[in-house]
Amino acid sequence: MATTSSESDSSRKNTDNKENESKDEQNNMFECNICLDNAKDAVVSVCGHLFCWPCLHQWLETRSSRQVCPVCKAVISKDKVIPIYGRGNTKQEDPRNKVPPRPAGQRTEPDANTGFPGFNFGDGGFHLSFGIGAFPFGFLTSFNFSDRPHGVPVGGQLQQDDHYLSKLFLWIAVIFIVWLLLA
Amino acid sequence: MAGKTPSEKRLHKELISLVKEPPPGMIVDADQAEQNLNTWTINMQGAEGTLYDGELFQLQFKFGSSYPFESPEVTFVGQNIPVHPHVYSNGHICLSILTDDWSPALSVQSVCLSIISMLSSCKEKKRPPDNSFYVKTCNKNPKKTKWWYHDDKV
Ligand SMILES: [Zn+2]
Ligand SMILES: [Zn+2]
Repeated sequence: MATTSSESDSSRKNTDNKENESKDEQNNMFECNICLDNAKDAVVSVCGHLFCWPCLHQWLETRSSRQVCPVCKAVISKDKVIPIYGRGNTKQEDPRNKVPPRPAGQRTEPDANTGFPGFNFGDGGFHLSFGIGAFPFGFLTSFNFSDRPHGVPVGGQLQQDDHYLSKLFLWIAVIFIVWLLLA
Repeated sequence: MAGKTPSEKRLHKELISLVKEPPPGMIVDADQAEQNLNTWTINMQGAEGTLYDGELFQLQFKFGSSYPFESPEVTFVGQNIPVHPHVYSNGHICLSILTDDWSPALSVQSVCLSIISMLSSCKEKKRPPDNSFYVKTCNKNPKKTKWWYHDDKV
């Protein structure tokens, strides 16, 4: 903020400023659009905007009825953000174990249990009804799968529901088997 | 000062950049903001060549603990409340980004710029048609008002 008298001095200052600016820009490149800090547990939306997963997660929770990108207002969802794994982040830690869990990178595999993009059913329910239709025991395995964290905060309510559901379906399975035996 | 909350951290960053590179016609009262990070006052000049040329306004920002996930409470305060179709005489502002269209990627700076441009595009200085009724009946907090956004272009 000091006033500079000599011309050479001020021009030097200018170039300094320019260097600083370009450095700033480079640094800003990887700042989260919400906390304005370097993105931690970085994820990128389909529209290309970078966030910390905890920051974005909190925003999606805040506006759960209308989930849009904070920067460009494009529609976004938990299932459609991509985590970014940098080099040096090679510790054997599964980011999904963190709270709030970050969605996993999607690798499409033949039998992948990737859910139904576009449908907003709770993961569990949808799989379960399929499993039963196909084979009475199918749901038991698929149920364990659908129990994996999927951006849902680990809360008691949900787990209780799951517990209740698994009991319910166990009974349905038993009835189904009995019916098969009798028929 | 250890243990800053995320909201304080972000406010601090915003304050530093607002002091370092203030947008034209905007000065934040940095001392006051340093003392109480949750209430800022911004002195604003009406833009040149607009109906508000030469006028001085004061904007007050109040931040809740969940900022930036919740919008700040933004009102005009002080002697001179701009006469504008979206600004009530008690300082409340009808601007969608302050409630429904808020996003955590917005900032004090972008809110101020929106307000300046809202003022600058004004063609006729007048109060909102429902001003006297609204001012009598509204909550002190403009965020409690269920705004009905007339037209965002003005
Ligand atoms: Zn962040
Ligand atoms: Zn976006």
